[in-house]
Amino acid sequence: MSRRGNTVRAGVLAVVALLAASCGSPGKPVDPAPVSNAAWPQPAHVGGPDATAGGGADTSCNPLASLPPNGTIGSDSTMAKIKERGKLIAGVDQTTYLFGFRNPTTGNLEGFDIDMVNAIARALFGTSEGRVQFRAISSSQREDVLKDHQVDVVVRTYSITCSRKKDVDFSSVYYQAGQQILVAKESKTEKLSDLSGKRVCAAKKSTSLAKIATDPAKPVPISVDNWSDCLVMLQQGQVAAVSTDDTILAGMAAQDPTLKVVGGQFTQENYGIGVPKDNEDMVRYVNAVLEEIRGTGVWQDSYRKWVEPSLGAASPPSPQYR
Amino acid sequence: MTSTATAPGPTAPAPGPPPPSPPDGRDRAGGRSGLLGLLDLPGQAVRAIIRSAATMPGRLTVIAVGLVLLALVAGLIATLSVQDRDDTISGVIDHREPLAAAAQQVYKSLSDADATAASAFLSIGTEPPELRSRYERDIAEAGAALAKAASDSSDVADAAAPVDVLNQSLPVYTGLVETARANNRLGYPVGASYLREASELMRAKILPAAQDLYRVDTEKLIEEQDSATGFPWLATILVVAFLAALIAAQVYLTRRTNRLLNVGLVVATAAVVVSLLWGAAALVVQGSLVGSGQDDGSHRVDVLVRARIAALQARADETLTLVARGDGATYERDFGTNAAQLVGPDGQGGLLAEARGLITDGEGAAKVADATRAAEDWLKAHKQVRSQDDSGQYQEAVDTAVLEDRKTGSAPAFRRLDDSLQAAIDVGRQEFLDDTHDGDRALTFLAPGLAVLAVIAAAGVTMGIRERLREYR
Repeated sequence: MSRRGNTVRAGVLAVVALLAASCGSPGKPVDPAPVSNAAWPQPAHVGGPDATAGGGADTSCNPLASLPPNGTIGSDSTMAKIKERGKLIAGVDQTTYLFGFRNPTTGNLEGFDIDMVNAIARALFGTSEGRVQFRAISSSQREDVLKDHQVDVVVRTYSITCSRKKDVDFSSVYYQAGQQILVAKESKTEKLSDLSGKRVCAAKKSTSLAKIATDPAKPVPISVDNWSDCLVMLQQGQVAAVSTDDTILAGMAAQDPTLKVVGGQFTQENYGIGVPKDNEDMVRYVNAVLEEIRGTGVWQDSYRKWVEPSLGAASPPSPQYR
Repeated sequence: MTSTATAPGPTAPAPGPPPPSPPDGRDRAGGRSGLLGLLDLPGQAVRAIIRSAATMPGRLTVIAVGLVLLALVAGLIATLSVQDRDDTISGVIDHREPLAAAAQQVYKSLSDADATAASAFLSIGTEPPELRSRYERDIAEAGAALAKAASDSSDVADAAAPVDVLNQSLPVYTGLVETARANNRLGYPVGASYLREASELMRAKILPAAQDLYRVDTEKLIEEQDSATGFPWLATILVVAFLAALIAAQVYLTRRTNRLLNVGLVVATAAVVVSLLWGAAALVVQGSLVGSGQDDGSHRVDVLVRARIAALQARADETLTLVARGDGATYERDFGTNAAQLVGPDGQGGLLAEARGLITDGEGAAKVADATRAAEDWLKAHKQVRSQDDSGQYQEAVDTAVLEDRKTGSAPAFRRLDDSLQAAIDVGRQEFLDDTHDGDRALTFLAPGLAVLAVIAAAGVTMGIRERLREYR
């Protein structure tokens, strides 16, 4: 009897041991719907540094020296033809907030650059109302529309450079911009070198992108199609900063009160009004108009309205003539 | 005592391999002898049959049992295969076609939402309430159709991945559109970038997933339609074999007994012949109706759906070119691709031409003709939009593109195109439903009928052979 009891006990132990070995632990509860990636979607065609980034320091000329101003309209001049046509045709931007943008509530183009166009129209016709045909162009179209005489002037955050001066003519400088950095208000970033290893956004083919890519602090350049795509990525936390001309950054800061422009201008961009190469009389006339708006406070009023809230006070740049 | 030792086995909480039986030789040996006995049974039966087949009555019994078994098996298989086919058709009508339609609805609603959001964005000031409510309806429809499509993704594995992508991305998409809208209301141009990001998400991720889902569900529909029109080989072979066996048995009996006819076997033969004729007629009618439901219905719907989606995406491209404000060259290229898909590179081909070739009569043909005319008007209006925008007349271009009340504009022409295609799709779905339903009706009573005929045949065989057997008593 006792021997049989022992056998049974041994059997029970064996079965229990076998069961324990075969069943194992109950394991963890199953994740019913695993999600591998909940990252933000990206704007179209986001890329890294861009080999075709434009710019480059061409110092073969003094880009800022324009033709001396002359406000008279000769009988066979370009201005006379414009007056005869009844409309000034201007190539402008409609995507850069504060400089040239379409107000979605009114459908009108507004901004600092648009004010410049209106000042030229006022000088020609006495009023700008109904006297301007705006033509929205992208930055890559600027030279082409001037070369083909499709427009009379291009006022579109247009930096004066020696290479561009080979194809088109420029007025005197009407605005001095420079590359700065747009970051969140609470950020401690003060200069580009503080962004070492961080993702910094710029538009494709821009000089700003080249500047970021070649900076010794090695920020990570992120390139997008449009400048405002950079603002989207900054707001979504996909980049730490946006770096480009302060004019563009001012427009972004104005659209989001939690952002600020820092860094001081570490490059210099001189904006001029583009005119077709062979219309020298028009260049002189535009320079005369710019002289006038610098002197009468029109420039200052426009600056105060659009730019000052984001970038602080400034005075018009002084012109240089050949 | 032994029972307590094995008790933990069946009551073990977690499933696992059964505990191996204790190493006990006796048990296995006993099992083996039982198994051998079982294996020997057929052999014994065969030997018994061969023994009894040596005598005439025994032979008759073997023939009777064989014929009855064959009758019952053939009847069962035929009944089941007809029932299965009936179920497949019901499944196609009640389940597969609505699912394919739901997948199509997801795809269509999302494409439409993309196009409508961009149109609403272009409007100056407050967006037009009709565009807003169209967008809301698109999103609601897409969500409802997605829930329907998701309910099926468990039994169609290929559908699970796209449903997952759609469910995860759709809320993100609507969030981006609302951010775009809020910024736009404040007058901030960054709204346009949010809208373009939303559209990029839609085009790069959501619409491809919707397309996959639509393709999976459509292929599944075609597969089930094909399986509902396939030839029932096994059932046919069995019934024909039974018929041959019956005839052979009668020939044999006639020779052996010198009696020309055996009433029971004749009744059985008649029952089999009726089964064959009825089955063949019903299956031919059903097959051709389900087939025409596929050709006139679901295949046409597929072409029309693809045409409609190409149109919707081209419309989104048209409006997004304007939203991009001077940077929309890639959207315009996409417009060209989608328009070429819709009407062909020369305006005479593409999916609309394919639809015209497929649908040559009835209401559907009229709707497709309407759609073709509307597409021509739309492409004409699009040329005007582009020439206005390219010459710097942005506001005029926007007006031509989005104002619903401008007669020669894009918006009303596109609306007519979309409505005509929707109407043609509805006609196609109705034809599918009518034909397939009629096909289903052709099979009415066939399954129970075949079962009854098989029983009659079996009974006939039994009675007929018993009559002969009696003569030996």
